[in-house]
Amino acid sequence: MNRRLAPVLASLSVPLLSAAVLAVALFGGWWAPHSPTSSTGAPWQLPDPVHLLGTDALGRDVLSRVLAGGRGLLGVSVAAAVCACAVGTAGGLAAGWFGGPASRLLTAVADLLLALPSLLLALLAAIALPWHTAVVVATVCGGAPLTLRVVKDAVRAARTSGYVEAALLRGEGTASILLREVLPAVRGLVVADLGLRLVVALQVASALSVLGLGAAPPAPDWALMLRENMTGVAINPWAVAAPAVALGATTVLLALLAQLYLSDDRTPGSRDRGPARKEPADG
Amino acid sequence: MSRPVTAPAAPRPRTAGAVTGVPLLFALVRTVLLLALVSVAVFTATELLPGDAVDLRVTPGADEEEVRELREELGLDAAPWRRYLDWAGSLLTGDLGTSLVNGRPVADALAQRLPATLAVVGGALAVATPASLALAWWAGGSRRARRLSTAVLTGGAALPTAVTAAALAAVFSGALGLVPPVSLLPPGASPWQHPELLFLPVASLALPTAFFGASLLAGAVADTVRLPHVADARRRGVPPWRIASTDVLPFLLAPFTRVTANTAGGLIAAAALVETLFGYPGIGSLLVSSLASRDLPVVQATAVVAAAVVLVGLLVGDLVAALTEPRRRPVR
Repeated sequence: MNRRLAPVLASLSVPLLSAAVLAVALFGGWWAPHSPTSSTGAPWQLPDPVHLLGTDALGRDVLSRVLAGGRGLLGVSVAAAVCACAVGTAGGLAAGWFGGPASRLLTAVADLLLALPSLLLALLAAIALPWHTAVVVATVCGGAPLTLRVVKDAVRAARTSGYVEAALLRGEGTASILLREVLPAVRGLVVADLGLRLVVALQVASALSVLGLGAAPPAPDWALMLRENMTGVAINPWAVAAPAVALGATTVLLALLAQLYLSDDRTPGSRDRGPARKEPADG
Repeated sequence: MSRPVTAPAAPRPRTAGAVTGVPLLFALVRTVLLLALVSVAVFTATELLPGDAVDLRVTPGADEEEVRELREELGLDAAPWRRYLDWAGSLLTGDLGTSLVNGRPVADALAQRLPATLAVVGGALAVATPASLALAWWAGGSRRARRLSTAVLTGGAALPTAVTAAALAAVFSGALGLVPPVSLLPPGASPWQHPELLFLPVASLALPTAFFGASLLAGAVADTVRLPHVADARRRGVPPWRIASTDVLPFLLAPFTRVTANTAGGLIAAAALVETLFGYPGIGSLLVSSLASRDLPVVQATAVVAAAVVLVGLLVGDLVAALTEPRRRPVR
């Protein structure tokens, strides 16, 4: 193995794999060999040359459904993650810049929301709201507080930096400084954070679909496939394993990509990535 | 070079000893506030649903007079805030209402299913807690494998519970045929009488939780093994297991308790998913099935009770963590 090439390949492998998986998730339906929604064989057939991954409970081609089954899930998750990240970033900018009672209030609300597991929030939201809205609401309530915390700390540090003080001396307005000086400075953090929110959104969206509160049945959807084909797992395990691998690969690669983007040499786990509550920082 | 004859005693994390009143009160107030918030959210969400109890009960073709009478009889014509207070008041007195579908008291159904959920969640915690400590130990302790360990923990924590459940089912009951793919308990049977039914739900909950807990703990492990007294003990040639038990573990107790409390809260919510997927009769699957059948009293009571269990778990974790936490010196 070439010594110089190996680290380059290793660092490129996650972005390249992610791009490939995302491309399949979004556009895989175009290459589906059969119709993903109509029966083309007997139920629970094992893999054969016609149906490469066998058939599902209704005799539909598993491979075609897996290829077509990522788009809806990914679409709703991206929308939810963008909303959560936008709300959290706006809150973090405000809390970090203005400080004082506004910051304390925002942080208190964020901590209150963080105490509830996001899946419980999603279940509560799903009582009355349609799937898409419930995923967005749960991801915003469970994710925006974490974004807020990360962005707030970064903004607080940026506030006393030279370029912000220079802009203040030039007499620029608050909005202009926040948008043109501070936001670009925390951009990397926000992008990595978007990746982490996307992972949580995917978890929430797939959980609701598995519970039967998500995508409606004829639609191909990885999480829905898990629910539909669990009863036949002993007859054709591929009908469950294939969507599980697709969903798992997507979330894991997105999480690794966010981690990679965040930083290569941070101590593991020192960042707050999930619904964890930390005691308020002192000082 | 002369070495000190007696090794200096390993420092102990100074604990707060007793929880001071203010944080305790704060934690209690927060729990009560959150529970009130959840009850309002649950009530509002069920209010937003089209149709009410009358639409479910009334016989098709009944005239408007009858419908109005029934609505009055059930107290559904009162203002929403009044009905919320009535409902919350009866919840506080222990009256959880009756199911619209089978007319049985909700409390009975919950009492029947809560032990089953606690068996799965408790089993998952019993597996995930030591596993997360071991994983965090591996990730936080080693310098060479840091990139790999970070990637493994991040990836493992990102896995949706549905994926681990499906993958485990495909392997253990699909390919190997070792356990049944559904965990239907015979009515009245205790889950402990059928450990083979517990395997899939417990394993699919424990796996992502262990990675998630480890990813939160690894930082604390990495910080602790870099403390001066640990390096010192290592230089003196103290065996690794001794360093682990006397120099490192006491410092990890507080973060460990916090992480465990957090993961336990998430586990109860995730149990709904695993229970539904495997057909296991717990409160999570009760919530989901009553949502599907629009059995609102069951939905309301189950959601509030589940949230209460989560919040009380978090409160207990907070208190234990406060008891074990090293006293913080004011940093300025």
